[in-house]
Formats: sequence, C-alpha cells, structure tokens
Amino acid sequence: MTSAALWPGAIALLAALMVVTRDSIVHALMYLVAMLLALAAVFFALGAGFAGALQILIYAGAIVAVFVFVVMTVDSTPEALAREKARLRRGWRGPALLVALLLLPLFGGVGIAVGNADPVPVKAIGALLFGPWAIAVELASFLLLAALLTARHLARWEEKP
Amino acid sequence: MIPALTVYHLLLLVPAPALAAFMVLGLAPVFLHRRLVMLIALAGGTAPLLAMTGMMGLCLTGQCRGVAPIFTLQVGTAIVDLALLLDPLSMITGMTVTLIGACVLIYSIDYMAGAKTADLRRFFALMNLFLAAMLAMVLAGDSIVYFLGWEMMGLCSFFLIAYNVFSDPAVAAGRKAFIMSRIADALLLGGLLLLFIAAGSVRIDALIAAGLALPEGQRTVIALLLLGGALGKSAQLPFHTWLPSAMAGPTPVSALLHSATMVAAGAYLMARFAPLLAASPDVMLVMAVGGALTAAFGSMTAIFQSDVKRLLAFSSISQIGFMLLALGVGAPAAAMAHFVTHALFKSLLFLAAGDIAHSAGDDTSIAAMKGAASRRPLAFAAFTIGAASLSGLPLVTAGWWSKEEVLDAVLGSGGAGRALWVLALLTAVMTAIYAFRPVLIALKPGPVDAHPHTPGLATRIPLVLLGFGSLTGGLLVGPVIRLLGGVHPEMPAYSVVVAALAPLTGLAISWQLSRSPQLADWLAARRLLRQGLQIDVLYQAWFVQPFQRLVDRLSGVHGTTPDPFGAAPVTMMLWLKRQLIDRFRSDGFDSGWMALAGTATPLWAVARRSQSGRARDAVMALAGGTAGLLLLGWMTA
Amino acid sequence: MTALFWLAAALFGIGLFGMMARRSLLFQLLSMEVMLAGPALAFVAAGAARGDAQGQGMFVLILVLAAAEVGIGLSLYLRLSRIADVSDVDTISDLKG
Repeated sequence: MTSAALWPGAIALLAALMVVTRDSIVHALMYLVAMLLALAAVFFALGAGFAGALQILIYAGAIVAVFVFVVMTVDSTPEALAREKARLRRGWRGPALLVALLLLPLFGGVGIAVGNADPVPVKAIGALLFGPWAIAVELASFLLLAALLTARHLARWEEKP
Repeated sequence: MIPALTVYHLLLLVPAPALAAFMVLGLAPVFLHRRLVMLIALAGGTAPLLAMTGMMGLCLTGQCRGVAPIFTLQVGTAIVDLALLLDPLSMITGMTVTLIGACVLIYSIDYMAGAKTADLRRFFALMNLFLAAMLAMVLAGDSIVYFLGWEMMGLCSFFLIAYNVFSDPAVAAGRKAFIMSRIADALLLGGLLLLFIAAGSVRIDALIAAGLALPEGQRTVIALLLLGGALGKSAQLPFHTWLPSAMAGPTPVSALLHSATMVAAGAYLMARFAPLLAASPDVMLVMAVGGALTAAFGSMTAIFQSDVKRLLAFSSISQIGFMLLALGVGAPAAAMAHFVTHALFKSLLFLAAGDIAHSAGDDTSIAAMKGAASRRPLAFAAFTIGAASLSGLPLVTAGWWSKEEVLDAVLGSGGAGRALWVLALLTAVMTAIYAFRPVLIALKPGPVDAHPHTPGLATRIPLVLLGFGSLTGGLLVGPVIRLLGGVHPEMPAYSVVVAALAPLTGLAISWQLSRSPQLADWLAARRLLRQGLQIDVLYQAWFVQPFQRLVDRLSGVHGTTPDPFGAAPVTMMLWLKRQLIDRFRSDGFDSGWMALAGTATPLWAVARRSQSGRARDAVMALAGGTAGLLLLGWMTA
Repeated sequence: MTALFWLAAALFGIGLFGMMARRSLLFQLLSMEVMLAGPALAFVAAGAARGDAQGQGMFVLILVLAAAEVGIGLSLYLRLSRIADVSDVDTISDLKG
C-alpha cells in the first residue's frame, strides 16, 4: 500500500518544486494542478478514496479554476518574465537555507508505527463529521461565510480615491 | 443528534407561522403591496390559533403532557436540550395568547388603515414577531427558549411603543419600558442561571427539581430573583411606571402586549415555577402582599385618570396584581383562570376604546368619550361589557367567576389571607368605580362623529367575539382550574355575598360620581393621585438624574476633568515624583545614568530597521523562529 | 509510511521556500497552496495508517480552510493590484517602522 503511494508522491514533490521555481505564472499553475492530482493518487493508494475524490473535485477543480480567472490579469510580457527570473535568482539562497534548517528536524524527528489498518469507509467519515465534529463543521461553515463576505467586500469595484 | 419526531413536534407549528410572517414582512427585500402585507399579517396572526386548537384537541384527549425535543448538546456534564412543552398550563396560556393575538391582528387591519404602507409593514412585522416570541415563551420546555421569547417580547414591546418614531415622548416611553424591563430581566437571568448551575440542564422540570434540592437560603435567593423578573415584566410595584407611559404606542399594541398577554407573562413565569416558589413561604408572602398592594394601588390610581388608555393601563397593573396575589397564596390555577378572563375583557376594552377614540378624532381622554353611545353603538356596547367583566358584576360576567376564585383562594389561605382578602375586596370596589366612569360619561350626549364611517368587518368581528367571551368566559373558569389541578376551597356563604356586593357598591359610587360635578372636579384636582403618587418623579430624581450627573461628570461635559478614573493614576504618580524625586538635586551620578539611557536612542534606530514592513521578511522571521524551535526540540529530545 | 511524512514535510518546506523566495503575490498564493498540501497529506497518511476516520475529517477541514484562504487571498490580490505593484510585494511596505 505504502510503496504504491511513493511513486505519485515523488511526482508531487517534483511538481511542487516546479511550482515555486517557474517564471511564468501559467506554467506554475499547471504544475500545481499536476501536484494536486499526484497527491490525489497518493490518497487513493493509501485507501483514502474520499480524500482523493475531494482533492480532485474541489482542489484541482474549483480552487485552481479560481486561480485561472485571476491569472488572466497578470502581465506576462517577456520583460516581466525576465524580471521575475532575475528576482528569483537574486534571492533564493537565504530562504533555501532556512527551509533546510526547518526540514532537518522534521525529517529526523518524524516517525510513525506502521499498523495494518483497514481502509476507512466513507460512512465513518460522515458519521464523524456530522456526529462528534458537528460543531467543527459548523465553525467551518462560519469561516466560509466570513470568507465569502470578505471576498465580496474586497473585490467590489470602486472609484480610485 | 436529531431526535425522533413525535406528535408533540406539531407544537413547532404554533409559533412558526407568525415567525414566517415576520420574516417576509420584515426582511424580504421586495416591495409588497398593501393588501399583500395585510394578508400575510393576517395569515401569520391567525394560523397559530388553528395550530393551537389542534394541540388543545390533543390535550383534551388525555395526552396533555408531552415534550418535543428540538436540539441537544452535551457540554461536559451540562446538557443543553431545547424543547417545546405541552402541558395544561402552556396549553391554556397558549390558547389565550393565540386567540387574543388573532383578534387583535384582525382588528388592526381596520384600525391601522390610515397608516402608510411602509409603516404598516413595520407594524405588522413586529406584531407577528411578538406573537411568535410570546408563543415560544409560553410553549418553552427549557430556560433558553423561555428567556429568548421573554427578551424578544421586550424588544418588540420597545419597538412598538416607539412605533411613532417622530414623536419624542413615544421614543422616550419605549426607552423607559426597555430599560426598566432590562433591569428585571437581569434578575430573571440571574435566577435562571443559578438554577442551571445547580441542575446542569436547562429543562424546566429539571430546574425546578434541582431548585427544590437546594438549601433554604439559596432557594430563597433564586425565588426572589425570579419574582423580580416577574414584577418587572408585569409592571408591578416598584417597576410599574413603564406601563402607563407605554400607552404611547398604537391601541392594538396596548391591547395585545401591554394588557392581555405580554405583561401577564410575569404571572405565567410564577405559575411555571410555582412548585419552586411554593417551597419558599417567605417569598410567597412577599408576592401575595406585593400583589395585593399593587392591585389596590393600581385601581386607586385608575380612578383619578383622565385618559382612557392610562386608566386601562393602571387597571392592567391592578388586575395582574390580583394574579400575583393568587399565586402568592398558592393558587396558580385561580391565577391562570383570571389570566384567561382578564385577557379576554381587557383586550376587548382596549379595542373598543380604540374604536371610540377613532370616532372622536383620535382623542383618548375620557371627556372625549361623551356621545360614544350614539356614535359607535357596537364599540360602546363592547366597552360596557368589558367594563362589567372587569369590575366583576356577579354571575353574568367572566370577570366575576375568576375573581371569585382568586378571592376564595385568598380567604382560604388563612393567616394574613384575611387581611389581604379585605384589601382585595376594597380593590374590587375601586375597580368597579373606575371601570364604569368612562361608560357613564359615554352615555352623555356629545359631539358627532369625527370620522363618520361605519367600522368594517375587521373591527366588528373581534369586538363581537371578545365581547361574547367576556360574558360567557365564566363557564371556562371551572374547567381551567380542574385542568390545572386546582381545587376550589369551600367558602362560607357570607364571603360570596360580600364579594358580589363589592362591584355593585362600586357601580353605585361611580353612578354618583358621574351625576355630581363637584365630585368630578374634586377628582380632576387630585394631581398627585392621578400621577400614581408621583413615583415616576421620584425615580427621575433618585435614579435618572444622579446617573446623568455621574455620566456628565465622567465625560467632562461641564468643565470638570474628563475620565477621572484614568486621570487618577497619573495625578498620583506626578505627586509621587514631586515628593520623592524632585527633592534631590541632579549630580554626576545622575548624568551617568542619563548618558547610558541616551545610548538607547541609536540602538532603537538600529532595531527599528528590522521593521521593514515587508510581508516576506515577516515570513522569514516566522520560518526562522519555527526552525529554531524545532531544532531545539529535536536535539534535546 | 515514514517516507510519506518526509514527503509531507518536504511539500511544506517547498511551499515555504516559495513564500519567502518569490516576490510576486500570485506566486506566493500558489506557494501557500503547496504549503497546505503538506499537512493535508500528513493527516490523511496518519489516518490511513491507524485506520481512523479523523485523518480524512481533518482533510475536509483543511480543504475548507484552503477555499477560504484562496477566496480572501485572491480578492486581496485584485484589490491590491489596483493600488500597488503586486508583482513585487517588497514595494508594499506601508507598515515600515
């Protein structure tokens, strides 16, 4: 089960690297889709079919679609791309060092006892979400509503002051 | 999480139509035609009556004890379970409220015909919201729904008193009602919360059981808090002053909220928690004495009124005093019977008075009633029936039967009961005096109709219906008391005769008053008594003005230092500095310290550069900090 | 299974790198999606390892969080793009001390 998950996992890792290093936002977005789909494959391989389906539907489907709309507003002339490239080239060492420092303890410290567990049925997830976690789901709905109102308020067209 | 549905979940249908009507009228962002507004309001106002009638049918077939759970949430050891409750008490109160509510809303269609559409919509939205809130409170099976309904009623009351938003007195009256009932509501909330802490549940039966298990002292405190809430909502002494001012609202509002239903909610509260209160004899005595005093005070003040609506307001205060008196002597059944009949005849009186005032050019003074008998015969007949029922003319009126139950319960309670009984009899005499004063004045010839139009069907139906109820409602008193598990004490014959003579005496005195102009002048000259012993003025002088002075002082309006609390520490530190530091002269040691302190400025300039204002730098700092913590944790693990 | 957690940590790290190294606001938002994918994977993997539904339950909540974040982030981006140079967030530093 785990080994089947590692191949798409590797693809996700590569795609993620590509996302943060591309000059063109459209390329980065395509790699993001690839990464999300690869992660969905990882979820399926782990037996978490529900999470995988949601990943494809909502993440790769809806959230990325929203990005696509916004990408249309971006300046993508060759000069802009060159500027982007120059900026990344100038300042990648510091962040890379910081991330390496952060990952070192994470890689060293993480470990989990592997059990032979059965895949979780979707019914159990539903029972969890609408049973003991009902309050959390309600709070999540509050969050979404607040985000909706905020987004509407922020994106409203106004005369420049 | 979702409880199984039972037949008692039909209880949800009782407040739901009124709430739905409120939502459409109050919140729908579309223009509604005038007729549609009236239609929606009417549907929302009458559908609860139908639903409640169904529940009464359920009740009368013997299934009169049921709970409809709505929502359950377990938090630690405490259980929050909202529920509606059907029992004889809520059934009888709910029936009364829905009936009066339907009648008043039908009447309002005609009465408010002169209002602009937007005002009409606001009025009906609030009336429907009130109805929903009151029904939620009546049918509540837990303290949360109960308190929610209770507070919503107060809010609607505020908005409806201040319905005429361009009239300063109306807005001031609304604010007064709101603030005074807030004070009492805080007491009620305190009582309910203390019970909740003891019970760990919000169900009313659990609250009562837990309250009974508490030690004597705590139980008394809780009972007193609940009593305080009831006194405020029911405008009893010493909270009574808001109700006469509340008459600034439209007449249907006065009929529904400020006489028949909402103000009687205090009596309902006491009846709901009757077992708990019965265990605190001292509180019961306070309630009985307070009720009797309020009854006497209200009816005495009502005699001196020159305005019909204010007269009826003091009459409501007095009649609810009767209910609390009955509750105080341990006869909740008699109190609720009086609640039912009082709701019938008092709303009738208000509706009839509103129609008569319409015909006199919206003049609500008693003098303006002259000639009402010929101008509006139906309204006059209705008012007469209402007045007869209010004063309790023997045998033929509903008021007599329920008042008789109250009086018998008081006399039967022994001890202080005899003194209270005498006081209550005096009150009954005074009740008849003030009740018939407008009637006898209306008989005199007067000016012709200011709005010569025949009242429509919407005016006539409620008047006839309620008038019929005010006469024959006495037949209900016996069944109501049996249903509530009350017993009628065996009384000596003399008490019945004396009680029957009391209203007749009052009627005779009222007759004398109307025939003798000197007496009428004497009445009119008693300003102190007309203003209810000027308790309002005392409140103004004792509470309102000192509070305003305090606020003015704190805000520095009159040239005083603003915010004295904030200024006090500064003044103190300055004083300390003068006392301790200024006494020493500066020397080299001081200069050294100052030089050291001076280096802080360049250091600050360096540190300030880290605040670049750039989001990326903040992220880097976060990442660096997290990495550091993780490394620390990993290496020390 | 441990490799999956390494993968999750690496995804988070890559996203964080993007957050810090990129100066275009839109790239930073994309990097944030990558960052969120890391914990999501960790939760699902842990849930799968233990046979517990709570892993995927947390995933649903993260999904909601991501949706809210994208909504607000992109509307902020659109708003900012009218008044500032969003291709270089370092120019937006009005909070400078």
